[in-house]
Amino acid sequence: MTLLLKQIFAFFQLLNSDTGRDQLAAGLACGIILGFAPFFSLQTILVLILVFFFRIQLGAAFLSAFFFKFVAYAFDPIADILGRNILETEALRPIFVKIYNMPILPFTRFNDSIVMGSLVISVILTIPGFFIFRHLVERYRIVVVARIRETKIWKAMAASKFYNWYASYEKLYR
Amino acid sequence: MSDSQTPTPAPIKKNKPKGPLRTEAVLPFTIIILLVMIYFKLFFDSNLRKGLEFAGYKVTGAEVDIAELQTSFFKASIRIQGIEVTDAMKPSHNSVSIGDVRFGMLWDAILRGKVVIKEVVVEKIEFGKPRKSPGKVKPPEPVVVNEDDGKPSALQKEAEKVKDKALSATESKYNNNVLGDVANMLGGTDSKVQMDKVEGSLLSKDMATKLNADMKLKSQAWQDRLKKLPQAKDFQALSDRAAKVKTKDFKSVDELQSSLKEFDSIFKEADAKTKEIQAANSDLNQDLQTSQKQIKDLEEQINKDAKNLESHFKIPKIDPKSLSQALFRQYLDPYLAKFNHYKNLANKYVPPNLMKKKNKEEVDVSMQPHPREKGVVYEFGRTNSYPAFWIQHVGVSSQAGMSPYSGNIKGEINDITTNQALIGKPTVALFAGDFPSAQLSGLDSKLVIDNRQENSKITFDFGLGSFPIEARALVNSEEVNIAFNKASGQLKLHSELEALRNFKMNLDNKFSQVQYDIKAKNSTVEEVLKTVFAGIPIVTLEAEGHGELPSLSLSVNSNLGTELSKGIEKQIQAKINEAREKIQKYVNEQVGAQKAQIEALYNQIKGQVEKELKKLQDQADAQKKVVQNKTDAAKKDGENQGKKKVEDTVKNAAEELKKKMGW
Repeated sequence: MTLLLKQIFAFFQLLNSDTGRDQLAAGLACGIILGFAPFFSLQTILVLILVFFFRIQLGAAFLSAFFFKFVAYAFDPIADILGRNILETEALRPIFVKIYNMPILPFTRFNDSIVMGSLVISVILTIPGFFIFRHLVERYRIVVVARIRETKIWKAMAASKFYNWYASYEKLYR
Repeated sequence: MSDSQTPTPAPIKKNKPKGPLRTEAVLPFTIIILLVMIYFKLFFDSNLRKGLEFAGYKVTGAEVDIAELQTSFFKASIRIQGIEVTDAMKPSHNSVSIGDVRFGMLWDAILRGKVVIKEVVVEKIEFGKPRKSPGKVKPPEPVVVNEDDGKPSALQKEAEKVKDKALSATESKYNNNVLGDVANMLGGTDSKVQMDKVEGSLLSKDMATKLNADMKLKSQAWQDRLKKLPQAKDFQALSDRAAKVKTKDFKSVDELQSSLKEFDSIFKEADAKTKEIQAANSDLNQDLQTSQKQIKDLEEQINKDAKNLESHFKIPKIDPKSLSQALFRQYLDPYLAKFNHYKNLANKYVPPNLMKKKNKEEVDVSMQPHPREKGVVYEFGRTNSYPAFWIQHVGVSSQAGMSPYSGNIKGEINDITTNQALIGKPTVALFAGDFPSAQLSGLDSKLVIDNRQENSKITFDFGLGSFPIEARALVNSEEVNIAFNKASGQLKLHSELEALRNFKMNLDNKFSQVQYDIKAKNSTVEEVLKTVFAGIPIVTLEAEGHGELPSLSLSVNSNLGTELSKGIEKQIQAKINEAREKIQKYVNEQVGAQKAQIEALYNQIKGQVEKELKKLQDQADAQKKVVQNKTDAAKKDGENQGKKKVEDTVKNAAEELKKKMGW
């Protein structure tokens, strides 16, 4: 839990900094897949490994996954219909039969109509999602962060000893 | 100074640019992996054991204990030892205990997300073994009540209705009092008790009294009438009168005329008397006929009264089937309870038959959707591929002698799977064996679960060559207690369940070398039952059940019911015949004397009056005949005299003529 909270704090920190734009966007995009995929599935494990071993912002991924879990829940009926249509497509049957009987791949649980539908939706959303999130982070930094930094309250706070001490701490130990 | 005093700023640590890989994550990841491995090595077996015990408790409703559980990740195997399932009905004993269960899964299938077990070995099976300490039994589910009125909720009521429905069909047929009624019937044939009830209400008795009085009056009336009828002296007077009348030597026609007139008068008088006697005779006949009818009515009333009395005995018609059901209800109740228990478990845990098929005959093995909470899970099978779950073979073996509760069991279960259509085989379980210590032999059972077609079909055959029965109560009512003290049983069961709904069952049970224990409140009943049961050395019990679950209609039949009803009817009939004789005697005692009096009076009237009237009739007829004869004689004499007179006149005239003529 501490690790998770630390990652979420780090996310907000990074969000308000000038760096790590791509890490954040990648984390948020991976969160889409995590949110749409069932917890015990191959794709979840793969995305988690990806997030864990590559420099993708973990906090962003978890926050995004949390948010997209609700979205996925709302999308369940659509995902079900989509999944059924895909799984029942005669042309794709040989591929599915092959995948189903291959090692490891059945752990994706692709044969579940909702999982299949959700996977397709999440894959479709992930790539544009990455670019959208990157743009949003940029815009956030320009519009929101810059404006906040111009406010008197922020300036007053930035001039305080406590803030200086915190800034030094950050520079030293981060 | 100032320079020397100015603190030199700490060198700013320049962060090394970081690459795309998060190398610092390797250590935590390794730690996590190590922790997982340590957990599986040290704690997983124990947690899985506890989990299985908990699940077993939830499913069976009684404590399940597992002595030891070992798993191996690399071999993908599990070994469970010392499984004990508490008997929910008898928590001090286990319903079943299994010494050893071991199996290994195929890694090849696990990597494909499937569970395939080549062989499961089950050993050391024991039944009814006492436990070291009584097992925990799940308490019944609390009734959900409405907060407003404190009554069970509508849903609860509906659930109860459905639950009760299964038993209601059979229970309605059972009547606890059937044998009690029989006992009452047997006890109720005491004629004295019945006669005491109806004494004073005999219609024939009143009728006889009335008729007797009537007959007496009639007798008197006839006596009086006989006196008023013409007597012998009257006829004598007529005879005397007729004797005085001249019948010959009439001097003149007038004299003849006068005689004839007198005779006519006497004849008419005699005729009038005869008619009077004839009228009396006719009246007598009519009276006698009426009396005869009244006597006949009395006899009919006597019979009617006797029948009314008999009806107080309620001569029974015993239905052997009801009797069989009543007799074996107590015997079958525990089995029915067990059946319902397992049926409820099946309803709760057996997945519905929801295979998707192309058509009824052809099953598409390449795609079998199974619905889950939401969405559909498809199975993309192909020939020779693994289904999601498949235990290919379970070998069960147990040897007698290891403990008194074990037996010789050999059995196998083949092809337990989630997709029978894919492997093309039904699940078949075969068990055979015996338990010598429990005197149980000839166990033979076969279970086939065929889910390959649209409607799944489960058939179960079970046979037991011989099993002992000791002190098994059949009837335990206030009036009667019947039990099998000792018997040897034989059992054959065939059942079918189609589409998990339509149930059919046939049970053949045979009990031989039966020693009964019979006790009854009423000594007559006890005597009768003992006599009847002594003639039934072999008892058969056939039960037939069918219906759509949860409703089940159960019909129970037994030769015990037929034989018992025959025997009881025979005994009751004998008692009734005895009572009937008593009734007849009683009726005769009450009405017979009067009836005899009436009949005597009738005979007296008939005999005396008829005789008297006949005598008078004869006298009248004789008198009439005499008068008639005399009249005829007088007439003849008159004729003769007239003739002679004419002849004489003619002769005289001829003589005078001759004289005149000078001849």
